[in-house]
Amino acid sequence: MVNRSEIIIEAKDLAYQYTGEEEASSPALSGVNISVHRGEYIALIGPNGSGKTTLLKLFNALLVPTNGEVRVEGISTFDEENILSIRRHCGMIFQNPDNQLVATTVEEDIAFGLENLTLPSAEIQKRVGQVSSVLGLQDLLQQAPHMLSGGEKQRVAIAGVLAMQPGCILMDEPTAMLDPAGRNDVLQTVQHLNSEQGLAVVHVTHFPEEAVMADRVVVLEDGRLVAQGSPKEILGNTSLLHGLGLQSTAAVELASLLRQDGFDLPEGIITNRELVNSICSLEQTD
Amino acid sequence: MFIGTDRLTHTYMPGTPYAKKALDNVSFEIKQGGFALVIGRSGSGKSTLIQHLNGLLKPTSGRVFFDGHDLGQKGNELLKIRRKIGLVFQMPEELFFSETIFDEIAFAPRNLGLEETEVQTRVIEALEEVGMEAEQFIDRHPFQLSAGQKRMVALAAVLSLRPEVLILDEPTAGLDHSGQKILFKLLASLNKKKNMTFIICTHHLDQVAALADQVLVLQEGRLVMDGFPQKIFGRRSQLIKMGLSPPVTAEIMADLAERGLDVRSDIFNLEDARAEINRLRRHRVK
Repeated sequence: MVNRSEIIIEAKDLAYQYTGEEEASSPALSGVNISVHRGEYIALIGPNGSGKTTLLKLFNALLVPTNGEVRVEGISTFDEENILSIRRHCGMIFQNPDNQLVATTVEEDIAFGLENLTLPSAEIQKRVGQVSSVLGLQDLLQQAPHMLSGGEKQRVAIAGVLAMQPGCILMDEPTAMLDPAGRNDVLQTVQHLNSEQGLAVVHVTHFPEEAVMADRVVVLEDGRLVAQGSPKEILGNTSLLHGLGLQSTAAVELASLLRQDGFDLPEGIITNRELVNSICSLEQTD
Repeated sequence: MFIGTDRLTHTYMPGTPYAKKALDNVSFEIKQGGFALVIGRSGSGKSTLIQHLNGLLKPTSGRVFFDGHDLGQKGNELLKIRRKIGLVFQMPEELFFSETIFDEIAFAPRNLGLEETEVQTRVIEALEEVGMEAEQFIDRHPFQLSAGQKRMVALAAVLSLRPEVLILDEPTAGLDHSGQKILFKLLASLNKKKNMTFIICTHHLDQVAALADQVLVLQEGRLVMDGFPQKIFGRRSQLIKMGLSPPVTAEIMADLAERGLDVRSDIFNLEDARAEINRLRRHRVK
């Protein structure tokens, strides 16, 4: 069983400043303290330029902090000898799957990372078989990745990361390039991996609807962690979100307009279903 | 006919085992000053279609029209016509290559062989059109900009050609809510004030649906719906069956209607949804 009190990623007093900027610009991140627990689903939101992608890259040792420290499964990202092990524990999914598919067939692509670990071929075959069945890719193994749909490609990218048996998966706007069906496909896959296999997820998104499924929503602004809480606490706080130039889900926004018009809607509505139920029960009681 | 196609068919790699019909007998017309959305799943032919509208591809059969010209014709004439039809690809800022914002935007006008003073006029005009003060920005490096500003510069680079039609592929991908709002406000004002014609391919309808006066739906290369937004988004179950998502406010209204409330479901922005739910209450109080 997953021990949810265990910490996978721990960041303390984290700061990062991109170099090469002529003007003294403000750091991309500063003073960030955050832990990711085993099996936890975190949605990371914030305006463009607030530091979301930088934070993911620091978790994955693609960047090392200017100040403070990140530990993944207890290993510091400063520890260059263990960088590969950090990336195995904590895999990254980018916005555009075309940027991370490398092989000529789906099967070889999923196996790519495993081959680099120089695992025995029986073990590689076993793991490719396992992850392709979890992700529903069995029938696509011999296909060329570039012939797949966007959602399928993104699932192949996830399979490649999952084959490394990570404790945590980092996703940077993984649905931004996908059509609605592809988007549902990827979101359901990730939810399944999180709830059934205890995979921790850090999901950067601009879509408030995608933050609803998280255990915890973390908000960044100008490189600082400015708020965190349950989806109901954060998505329900329209003044916080609007102040940052963000919007909540359509259900929250509509509920807040209707409350201004005198509708007696309960707090804590964040999904369409909750809004529809509340409006219908008002209609019935009146 | 201002811009459109007549029985347009496009087959990739014809005569090979990989032959794929990407567009099949597609005919439509968009009026000057129109604002059309092209929606459809990945692989439905959207990108192929917009490349035809800009003369980048040649029809396998059928014709593409713009302002009385046939874009299938050869020669210099076509080049001149194509300049009037601007095409903004997905994530256009990934194609930036210049050292300064000035050079980035000046690239296309310089290619037209314009005098440098005219080039300068066009650059300044284009930057101001996208709401960026020329003096403050022209000498800066494009990479010093925020994501939203980069997108605006990419747009200015196309506006510097003074197009009559602007075609955009997923224009808000990767932008936060306020970036999206600013972009759509700009497109709406170019549409109203300059009578610029817009053709937008997108999976994300929530913000743009209210601006449109025409929606084209592609499925496996065929044009399966073409009409006013109210009409198209009203055909909710058909869209969902195709793997598409109607705007989320339309979903909420349809759920309310399904629960027996007497509301219209062809609504796709928050203010209209608010008004409709209020109308219901007033009606009931009477």
